[in-house]
Amino acid sequence: MAEKKTTGNLRSQDPNQRRVLDSMTRHRRLTRQLEALEKDNFQDDPHASLPQLVKRLPQFDESNESGNESSKRRKKTRGDHFKQRFRKNFQALLEEEDLSVSEGPNYLIACAEPSKFPQRHFCAVCGFPSNYTCVSCGARYCCVRCLGTHHETRCLKWTV
Amino acid sequence: MSTLVLDNGAYFAKIGYSHEKVSVIPNCQFRSKTSRLKTFTANQLDEIKDPSGLFYILPFQKGYLVNWDVQRKVWDHLFGKEMFKVDFADTNIVITEPYFNFSSIQESMNEILFEDYQFQSVLRVNAGSLSAHRYFHENNSELCCIVVDSGFSSTHIVPYCRGRKMKEGICRINVGGKLLTNHLKEIISYRQLHVMDETYVINQVKEDVCYVSQDFYKDMEISQLKGEDNTVVTEYVLPDFSSIKKGFCKPREEMNFTGKYKTGEQVLRLTNERFAVPEMLFHPSDIGIQEMGIPEALVHSINNMPEEMQPHFYKNIVLTGGSALFPGYRDRVYKEVRALAPVEYEVSVVLPLNPVCYPWEGGKLLAENPDFEELVVTREDYEENGHYVCEEKFDV
Repeated sequence: MAEKKTTGNLRSQDPNQRRVLDSMTRHRRLTRQLEALEKDNFQDDPHASLPQLVKRLPQFDESNESGNESSKRRKKTRGDHFKQRFRKNFQALLEEEDLSVSEGPNYLIACAEPSKFPQRHFCAVCGFPSNYTCVSCGARYCCVRCLGTHHETRCLKWTV
Repeated sequence: MSTLVLDNGAYFAKIGYSHEKVSVIPNCQFRSKTSRLKTFTANQLDEIKDPSGLFYILPFQKGYLVNWDVQRKVWDHLFGKEMFKVDFADTNIVITEPYFNFSSIQESMNEILFEDYQFQSVLRVNAGSLSAHRYFHENNSELCCIVVDSGFSSTHIVPYCRGRKMKEGICRINVGGKLLTNHLKEIISYRQLHVMDETYVINQVKEDVCYVSQDFYKDMEISQLKGEDNTVVTEYVLPDFSSIKKGFCKPREEMNFTGKYKTGEQVLRLTNERFAVPEMLFHPSDIGIQEMGIPEALVHSINNMPEEMQPHFYKNIVLTGGSALFPGYRDRVYKEVRALAPVEYEVSVVLPLNPVCYPWEGGKLLAENPDFEELVVTREDYEENGHYVCEEKFDV
């Protein structure tokens, strides 16, 4: 599909002037959306902008004083050691596991295969079953009103 | 010699001594915008007065334990004075881990449990093994069962035969409670109110309002009707944490069908989201995840098993995990599996009374089992032989 640039800010309904995304871009957008669904938090850490508290107040714990001095000391030094070793994220661990050879089923093989049933499509705006597709970006819609809402709010509002 | 059973989930940790009751505690840390200095651990969640915009720090990623800092802080809190007061030298621990757990994570867990906390002995199992153990304990005559664990990060379908899991049949669908909540947040943010930051609140909405429909297209049609005929639409009042502490659904009589809201409360109007969101468990392709849904994956997994065992698997399907709590879940799974399974096989789907704590109850039974001593790895064993003995003994 040919890509034609829009003129200025006015997004006219004229088909000659709408930009059309090709299938690779659409696929990238979809992957982006699905990855966003895996996020834990959508806001920033509320503590991120605070200065780090350097000095930690001594904690007077009765249980720790009696004879467990050595283990407490050991815990402190091992804390940093743990931090360096155990901070890998999931991707790194998966790659590591892949490299260590093992026959038989593993994490990747256990993943479910694509469904044999056809995919059902729903309107991106209202959620009811849709029959039509937006020409530019490929989103589904069910009626002309939803198409209008889609053009005003989401269509091509961000690029990948 | 007491035994602590810990079902270490990605969202909730189910923990308790084997002779006491189970407690379900969030397995993460929280940070709040309002109380700026403190990081809340696990069940300190109750102390937070304003859980809006709550920031989650989860030690798990995609179902695997990657962030040991946070996990150790949570464990310190759980094992410490305020919670379970564990006497490490005198306690055995039964702890669960995900399927196909990475060897580096297994080794780290061994190290931390034996060397850092110094438990007397450790047993690492899959959560499904505990569920299967519990199931076989109740139904002595059955040899095989298949466990569907729909948890926070993903849904696993695992066949068990004579107490051992069948690795060839394990199927993982990457749809879990987290995905459902995030998807619900997205669609509400687009259609009504910006709630992308409010994981805690929307999770509550999902648990209160969503259900699994038995007939998807019919429910879709009903939800499109206007006025009194629309039995699907509900209005959910959002909490504002000053006067309304917890969100709730408005009763039908007070519902305003024609649109203007008089009071100052924030209300969400939910129609097809109620059943479209849990539908993702059955059809992940609805939002573009190219994977099979639960019923299909069940049948696919059973078909990978030897021919003679298949009827036994169909007769013993066990549903566990948090997402099994949706109303209508069990009936829908039964209906779909019955439609896909061969006619001559009998299909039976079991939903326990408490799907979330079912593996924990299995762990409790296992701890009381006379063979328990042979299954665990003691600290002396580990110190002599290292990780090797754990690898051999634990069937993960």
